[in-house]
Amino acid sequence: MSWKTLLGGAAVLAVVAYAVIAPLVSPWDPNDVDFDLRSQLPSLTHPLGTDMFGRDLATRIAVGGRTTLLIAGSALGIILVVGFLWGTTAALAGRGVDSLMMRIVDGLLALPRLPIAIVVLVALRLSAATVWGIVLALSVAGWMLTARLVRGHVLALKSRDYVTAARAIGSSWPRITRRHILPNSTGILLVAVLLELPVVVLGEAFLSILGLGPPAPAATWGNIAYDGWSSFRVWEMLVATLAITVFAVSASLFADGLADVLDPRRRGRRA
Amino acid sequence: MPLGAYIARRILWTVPLILGVMLVTFALMRGAGGDPFNPPEGFGGLPESEARKLRAHYHLSEPWLVEFAYWVENVFTFEFGPSLLVRDLDVADIVRNALPVTVTLVLLAAAWAVPAGVALGVWAASNRNRIQDLLATSLAAVLLVVPVFFVVFVLREYFVLEWRIVSDGWEKTSARVLPVLALGLAPAGYVARLVRTALVDALEEDYVRTARAKGLRRQRILWVHALRNALAPLLSAAIPMIALLITGAFFVEQAFRIPGISSFFVTAAQARDYPMVMNLTVALAVVVLVANLVADVLLALVDPRILERQRR
Repeated sequence: MSWKTLLGGAAVLAVVAYAVIAPLVSPWDPNDVDFDLRSQLPSLTHPLGTDMFGRDLATRIAVGGRTTLLIAGSALGIILVVGFLWGTTAALAGRGVDSLMMRIVDGLLALPRLPIAIVVLVALRLSAATVWGIVLALSVAGWMLTARLVRGHVLALKSRDYVTAARAIGSSWPRITRRHILPNSTGILLVAVLLELPVVVLGEAFLSILGLGPPAPAATWGNIAYDGWSSFRVWEMLVATLAITVFAVSASLFADGLADVLDPRRRGRRA
Repeated sequence: MPLGAYIARRILWTVPLILGVMLVTFALMRGAGGDPFNPPEGFGGLPESEARKLRAHYHLSEPWLVEFAYWVENVFTFEFGPSLLVRDLDVADIVRNALPVTVTLVLLAAAWAVPAGVALGVWAASNRNRIQDLLATSLAAVLLVVPVFFVVFVLREYFVLEWRIVSDGWEKTSARVLPVLALGLAPAGYVARLVRTALVDALEEDYVRTARAKGLRRQRILWVHALRNALAPLLSAAIPMIALLITGAFFVEQAFRIPGISSFFVTAAQARDYPMVMNLTVALAVVVLVANLVADVLLALVDPRILERQRR
């Protein structure tokens, strides 16, 4: 494993740990409003300063991280399930079904994700723009790459001897999928998760900054950035952007390195 | 397959795609249920008489297939119909006025980002593993990684609000500089990275060695022989490029108050203005799909092997 992979993995872990632990030890409540302490720059009592309501930003970034990671985790769960089922079905069905299913994926992949997510949010009647609305929007906009990845992988698995053997003794496709294909797809699914993770985190930020995120006072990284955006506060914007960017970059570094580890043929191919 | 047939086939494939997008959008909006005439708080409603008129216009009381067919007819005749929430606002006017703004913004951004990215990529590849390479790849990584919403926010905060050097909007030429600049940053980084990788590979090829052995000048080998073969990977990456530009346009237009299509799209989404959202979705999809089409045709021109493969 290269140092980049290790660094990326360590940074992802550090951010997650911060989001989990910081609110427990912080003396500040993330939603405590104190107008005397409005819009402060970092100080000893507030290491990352305060927002326009005097709320402690260091705590809010941690709590926001929890929500953002919850959104990302749930969306990734849906993306994995849908992507795996779609990709496996296409690969196993073959012929017309396969080409139709992949045409749909290709068609959707041609469109940018952000408008797709917005259309889904509107369809959910927006009053449902809660955490789960965002999760659904991001999942609908983001399952296609995983489906394509899985399909390619399963096509290769399909001709393996153990699949042929299982077919020969009369196993059904659902059983083969459960017993042989799923266990042999963990690597590719892991790569898919890590590839999508930064995209989903950014997607949450995109939606929130356009004013379509979870309503106040819920904190997410995107929502904190939106606060900074709409109240013209560079510092707050910088803090939120850093949280999003550091996490996204470390996750993709980690994903890249892991893909190399899992697929030795990839190793050293890229200079 | 000759080029003409390929282009015709690609165009024919785009039509069902647009219809597919329309059908899905329509199903989502219709499936959302409820009454589009009760907007969320903060957005004014309509008097009963107006609502009845709009209901009739969009055939909202008809079966869904009829409603959909009317909509398809309206879209293909550019008669998008009125907005649900803002009176006397026709979606067709929005599309007519806002679409050119967005397309101009995106094209201008691409017009500087692609050459700049190519130059940066070539510079990096020709100085492979030297300090220049490190500088160029780091610059490309930074351009790609800094989120567009942060860039536009900071640029506007200082250049427009603080120092008042330029103004918001799209009217004045001077106001267009920052948005175009900001929108091109990430694509430039992306292009630079792609070109560098493709060039590094191409420079190892036999034909480059042959060219060198013939005694051709370094610059000529780099820009003519190697770069030509790096064009195909660049054009194949059209979809992520377009996605970067369109996504970026949302934030650029939002920050600099540019009356482009995405700013109307976001407002309509917030107000739950269904016909507006549906028609603007189609307009956006058409822009994206036409851009893909152009990239595919260019790719076939650059790499004719694609036409060969189509025969299967």
